[in-house]
Amino acid sequence: MLSPYTVLDLTDEKGELAGMVLGDLGADVIKVEPPSGSPSRAMGPFLDDAPEMERSLQYFAFNRNKRGISLDLEAEAGREALFSLVEKADFIIESARPGEMAGRGLGFEAMRQANPRIVYVAITPFGQDGPYADFPASDLTLAALGGPMSLQGHPDRPPVRLSLPQAWLHASVEAAVGALTAHALMLRTDQAQFVDVSAQTAMIWTMLQGMVAHSVQGRDFNRRGSIVQLGTVNVQLVHECADGYVVIFPIGGALAKMVEWWVRDGIVPEDWLTAEDWPMYHVKLLQQQPVAHTIEEVLDAVGAYVRDKTKNQLLEQGLAEGVSIAPVNNMEDLTRFRQLQERGFWLTAPLPNGQVAQVPGIFANLSETPMKVHRWAPKLGEHTGEVLGDLLGLATSQIAAASGRALE
Amino acid sequence: MPDTLPFEGLKVADFSWVGVGPITTKYLADHGATVVRVEANNPLDILRVAGPFKDGVPGPDRTQFFADYNTSKYGITLDLKNPAGIEVAHRLIAWTDVFAESFTPGTVDDLGIGYGTASSLNPSIIMLSTCLMGQSGPTASFAGFGFHAGAIAGYYEITGWPDLPPDGPWTAYTDTLSPRFLAVTLMAALDHRRRTGKGQYIDAAQLEMGLQFLAPQLIDHGLRGRSITRNGNRSDVMAPHGAFPCQGEDQWCAIAVENDRQWAGLRRAMGDSDWAKDERFDNAAGRLAHQDEIESMLSEWTHARTPRAVMDALLSEGVPAGVVQRSSDLQQDPQLAHRGFFRNLDHPEMGTVPYPGHQFRISGYDSGPRTPAPLLGQHNEYVLKEILGMTEEEMVDAVVAGAIA
Repeated sequence: MLSPYTVLDLTDEKGELAGMVLGDLGADVIKVEPPSGSPSRAMGPFLDDAPEMERSLQYFAFNRNKRGISLDLEAEAGREALFSLVEKADFIIESARPGEMAGRGLGFEAMRQANPRIVYVAITPFGQDGPYADFPASDLTLAALGGPMSLQGHPDRPPVRLSLPQAWLHASVEAAVGALTAHALMLRTDQAQFVDVSAQTAMIWTMLQGMVAHSVQGRDFNRRGSIVQLGTVNVQLVHECADGYVVIFPIGGALAKMVEWWVRDGIVPEDWLTAEDWPMYHVKLLQQQPVAHTIEEVLDAVGAYVRDKTKNQLLEQGLAEGVSIAPVNNMEDLTRFRQLQERGFWLTAPLPNGQVAQVPGIFANLSETPMKVHRWAPKLGEHTGEVLGDLLGLATSQIAAASGRALE
Repeated sequence: MPDTLPFEGLKVADFSWVGVGPITTKYLADHGATVVRVEANNPLDILRVAGPFKDGVPGPDRTQFFADYNTSKYGITLDLKNPAGIEVAHRLIAWTDVFAESFTPGTVDDLGIGYGTASSLNPSIIMLSTCLMGQSGPTASFAGFGFHAGAIAGYYEITGWPDLPPDGPWTAYTDTLSPRFLAVTLMAALDHRRRTGKGQYIDAAQLEMGLQFLAPQLIDHGLRGRSITRNGNRSDVMAPHGAFPCQGEDQWCAIAVENDRQWAGLRRAMGDSDWAKDERFDNAAGRLAHQDEIESMLSEWTHARTPRAVMDALLSEGVPAGVVQRSSDLQQDPQLAHRGFFRNLDHPEMGTVPYPGHQFRISGYDSGPRTPAPLLGQHNEYVLKEILGMTEEEMVDAVVAGAIA
């Protein structure tokens, strides 16, 4: 879909998914790395647990559909090559500290001189300016300052982030949205555009209905484990089953159906069938009306029913009978999840160490311009010769000077 | 002169509901498109019956959950179970550039507004169908809430404490990342159509978008069988790395020491406490091995200070730190104030309430949100007459026939 466009990806781990998304959508993405490699190459998990540049799965996972070149931007030849690429490019994405690129003469103003129609996207923790602009940040502190942590975790323990880093991934996909929004504007104004992405605000959006709760209802939401509140009543969503956990929200028609299961299995007496208008039970709870069986009794029955069944048995039974029961999938479960296999989600990729692996595939199915993985993450400088030689017409000696590395 | 907006003139018929679809079309609406949000009266959009409600008083036009994600849109209530309602739907489909829906798979075909019909009414239409599992596959019909999706996509497993059942992320985690993927995909499809005249059909599973954020660990699992699980706030490579208790009621500051230089910074911020001079803590391996001890001593220092004081002391020494902010704190955040992130809009029923702005700023125009979300059925007449160009008589006929829910 984006095949006419060229993207220069100068990011590190804070922005690499942005270029990948545009690459998945068809753009020609050129990953520009320093001669020492992107810092993300030093981030695990590593193939064979070997912390080497070409063994980082962090790098491998977020740099598909890109060509890779190395440029020494401290050297004049490297800078010249970059500006020559900018003249041919449509987008630049970078994730340096605010002002850093401008300080090196590589900021938006310099780039728009080279290409007056360029869309320049900058990803930073807090935005380009303001009192926090120069503060250091980490995934954890962005989850804190952006708000979602205040909503997550057990009430008797500290608030938690998700145990895997998320902030830069949210900011990166957001940067891809910003890139195409600015491109649409550029087409109308014929002027270069600067897109200023703030990871803190990307994390705020993950609070969903919690973002402005206090201003609206006069109180904040707080962390409460996996409990959902129905009026004044707490409903625990997570229940332990034979091989892990499932999530069940016992309301409406699903609750009525489950009561039938419980009676059939002898978990509750038969008079439960008629004791309540079960599809309306949650409405009574919300309105604090008297109920024949308390929510605690209902949740006990849920727990007793699922205890000796597996996640998949419960999912299948629920699907057949119109009750939403969600398995708490772990990595192993996801790898084997039938839905993903039958939709052909997984792809097979050759890894840099010669192994072959099952890897996550593309994120949407398109009828007219199907997304494909044209290439897996490049080795450092893999396409330096191709890009600088064929695209810019540089001679071998010039390429070596620009890239800061001997040719592969 | 008014700002030029990126998507001015773009037309969107938004038949989706709840989170993912409406959040996706909000990007287009706030950035200039004409978006018609098609709703039902029964059942109401779940967001209209979920809080937070203004002043805690429920009502379909009083919830910020709906209000936040439907800014800058027009609203019409159609009865899609009535042929007259479908006739209006067909006119909207013929009018629009983008048609979005998020029903259970198969529903739009049953209603007579599937892609086959849509593309015959409007050959270059771009149609987006999004649901949890995708349009095909053995569990396509799974219809659940966001927390079901968060569990299925692997996010419950990795949120909480190793010795406790999973806590899960805050509500509907896949609703937070999917709209980003969908918005960029729609924009790419629109650019493709601008150049080629060709529309297309997009089938997007929230599960498959969700797994993009777990990619390195999913690959690692496939190779080595290591299944990452929840681990509080701890990291495999950094310590200390957690939320530390501060002065006040349930107040916390998050601290992440990423390297030895930052550890030295933390020691300076604490006034070079004796306990921290221990050489076992001088490198990451040592700090990881003794993090119980470090967390306990560090907590004593933080507990005597406000979260803001802890954050300021650490940031000034170059250590990543951040107050665990609630929605009330965000309203006081100086960086967000500088950025003009929250915008007040005056809503007919809710009054003046702050709305979150966008996560990127593009110089040269204000990305809104421009107008508050529609009241239920607020623009029924406007959509029929001004947008679809119906005459007074046609409109009356449609209403009498039961098109409007």
